[in-house]
Amino acid sequence: MRRAAWIVLAVMVVGVIAVAFWPHGGHESEAAHMHRLASELRCVDCEGLSVADSSAASAREQRRDIGVRIRRGESDETIRNAYVDTFGENILLKPSNRGIGLVVWALPIGALLLGAVGLAFALRRWQRQPRLTASADDERFVARHRSSAPDE
Amino acid sequence: MKHPFRWIALGVGAIVVVFAVILAVNVGTDPRAELNTSRLLGKPAPSFTLTRLDGTRLTLADLAGKTVIVNFWNSWCVPCRDELPALQTWYAAHRADTSLVLVGIPRDDSSSAIRAAARTDGMGWTVANDHGAEAASLAYGTRGQPESFTISPNGQVVGSIIGPMTTADLDRMAAVGQGL
Repeated sequence: MRRAAWIVLAVMVVGVIAVAFWPHGGHESEAAHMHRLASELRCVDCEGLSVADSSAASAREQRRDIGVRIRRGESDETIRNAYVDTFGENILLKPSNRGIGLVVWALPIGALLLGAVGLAFALRRWQRQPRLTASADDERFVARHRSSAPDE
Repeated sequence: MKHPFRWIALGVGAIVVVFAVILAVNVGTDPRAELNTSRLLGKPAPSFTLTRLDGTRLTLADLAGKTVIVNFWNSWCVPCRDELPALQTWYAAHRADTSLVLVGIPRDDSSSAIRAAARTDGMGWTVANDHGAEAASLAYGTRGQPESFTISPNGQVVGSIIGPMTTADLDRMAAVGQGL
C-alpha cells in the first residue's frame, strides 16, 4: 500500500514535469509567434510591462520589428540576441539560461533537490527509529509494576 | 554515505554561500548600470531613413564623413525642454561648421507637435517627424528621452549620453566624434 502511494506520487511528479517542459506542438500563427516573443521582452518605456502588453510607441515599434524579423525567417534565438545586443540582458523579462542567468535558474532547483533528498533521508530515519524508546529504568519500572499488579 | 545529513547540510551551506557571493557582487555594482551605457559604443551606427520637416529625405549615409550628434527627444518631455537651451546655444555656435551635424529624432510624438515645437523653439538643426524616427529610436536602443549619440565620420557610435546635455556635454560629444 505504501509502495503504491510512492509510485502514484512519482507518476504525478513526472507527469507535471513532462507537461511543463514538453515542447508545444502544432502550427503557431505569425501573430501568436510575435506575441510570444514580445511577451519575453521588457517594455523600455514602462514599469514591469512586456512589449506584448504595452501600448507605448516603442513597444508598438518593437512588435512591428519582431514581426518583420519573423517574416525574414530569423530564429527566436536570433531575435532575442538582437535585442540583447542592442539593449543588454535587462531587456529579457526572464533571465537567460547562460552565464549568471544559469546560476539564477540552477540554484533554486539545486536547493529543492537537496531539500527533497534531505526529507527522504529524514523520513527513512523516522520510520526505522521510534521517536520514543524505553530506557532500562522504564523497562524495570514496567516489569516491577506488572509483577506487583494483581492478576486480571 | 555515513552521515547523509552532514553532506546535505554542506550542500545547503554551499548554495547559501553562492547566493551570498552573487548578492555581494550585485550590491557592489549598480544593477541598472547597463541601462546607462549604450551597447552600441564602438559598433557601426544603425542606419536610418528619416523625413525632414521640409519633406526631404535624410539617411545616415547622406551624412558620411561628418560627425553626427543624434538627439532623441519629444516635445512633451520635460527633461528635453530643460536640455533645449543648451542645444540652441551649442547649435548657434557651430552651425557654420559643416563637419558637424545635429539631428533631432522624436521617439514618440505627433507630427503637429513636433512641427510646432521646432517652429516655436527655433530648432535650426535637422528634425525628423516620420515613422522612421520610431525605427531609429529602436535601432539605437533608446530607453527614454532625451538620449544622444555621437557618430564618428566613419560611421561608428563613439559617444552616448542618457538625460539632458549641457553645452559642455555637447562639446565633449562633438570632440569624441572628431577624435579630438
